[in-house]
Amino acid sequence: MLTAVITHRGENSVQVKLVGQSTGLVTPKIEAEEGQDMGPNPIAPEGKELLWGGLSFVVMAVAIRYFLFPKLKKGMDDRYAGIRADHESAEATTAAARGDVAEYEKALVAVRAEAAAKVDAARQTLDSERQAAINELNSRIAARRSEADAALSAAREANRSQITAAVSAVVTRATELSVGRAPDAAVVERAIADAMAGGSR
Amino acid sequence: MFALEFPPINEILRWREVAPSLNKVGIIAVAAALIAIVVFILATRQDHRKAPTGVRNFAETTVEFVENGIVMQTMGRDGLGWTPFLLSLFVFIYLCNAPGIIPILQMPATARMAIPAFLSILVWVIYNGAGIKHQGFGGYFKSVLFPPGVPKALYALVTPIEFISTIIVRPFSLMVRLFANMLAGHILLVTFALLSEALFQARDKVLVPFGVLPMFMLIFLTGFEVLVAFLQAYIFTILTAVYIGGAVHPEH
Repeated sequence: MLTAVITHRGENSVQVKLVGQSTGLVTPKIEAEEGQDMGPNPIAPEGKELLWGGLSFVVMAVAIRYFLFPKLKKGMDDRYAGIRADHESAEATTAAARGDVAEYEKALVAVRAEAAAKVDAARQTLDSERQAAINELNSRIAARRSEADAALSAAREANRSQITAAVSAVVTRATELSVGRAPDAAVVERAIADAMAGGSR
Repeated sequence: MFALEFPPINEILRWREVAPSLNKVGIIAVAAALIAIVVFILATRQDHRKAPTGVRNFAETTVEFVENGIVMQTMGRDGLGWTPFLLSLFVFIYLCNAPGIIPILQMPATARMAIPAFLSILVWVIYNGAGIKHQGFGGYFKSVLFPPGVPKALYALVTPIEFISTIIVRPFSLMVRLFANMLAGHILLVTFALLSEALFQARDKVLVPFGVLPMFMLIFLTGFEVLVAFLQAYIFTILTAVYIGGAVHPEH
């Protein structure tokens, strides 16, 4: 462990010695010569330091106050004003863009509604036209079918009359040959008609 | 076994004379002023419309620090006119403090009494002058010596206290705070540097490894002095702003 020994030496000097416990004081002495300059007084301000320090500060403060600070500050203010203006311009542009987007979306909604209405109208038109075409086609089919039915009925009736006449002629001739006398034509025709009606049943 | 010769306190403040009327304190003061002026000149030469870089960024950051961290906090918007003076004060004190940790120079100019004394007296003159200018001679001393809201019977006690604290003690407290803090830091650095050297050069080789302990302390204290240099400049400047603000607007 070391012990500090402080010795006051004259008016302006303090000597500090560290002493080792085991070996005692081993510090070589530094003697201050009588009248030797021991350095400046640690408390009292020196005139030349006051002069240089004060002069330097005053020169610097005047230079900063009247030349350097105003120029620097003006530059800062100009740039901040520019940044503020750019910021405001950007905000205005953003607001305008938002308005444009809102208008676009509004127009888009209107166009979509109009398109939907047109599509609906077209679909209705198409449906009605298709229905009309189907109806017309159905009526044409029905007319053709009734015409065909009528033609078929007429052909069938004509065939029936021919068959009846042929059978009547055959029956009349066969009866005439077998009994020697021709049968009544009306009776023959009614009998043939009944027979054909029964056959068709 | 171990010997340490600690120099007398005025010996560690002895700076060789460069010229009969100029020593290192003077050189540091002149250099501080020149550095500040050159930095601001270089800053003002850059194009202010572009984003600040380098020296202009440094100068603008310092200005904004003084404006926002000192003036606006103590004096409000009305005090912005004092920014150049407070900026000069802050920069000058910091540049006078910083050489305490710069090799070769290795002593803050403010560890001598002259510069703190000059600045404190200047601040004293300025805040009293500003108070007299804004309130008139009678009004200022009335607001200082007879603070409103105090019962009249207490003026016998309060007035001498206010006189002593405002007129006499303030410049001394400003001066001694800066001077003593910087001198104490300087002495601490010298102490640990000498102790490290003595241990590293001890005749008993067992002591040599212990030299790293004061050396680490020396490194730590050097870092600490960086903070102290800034802090003392800030404290001196903010107290100046408070004194000026109090003198100009006593109602605050």
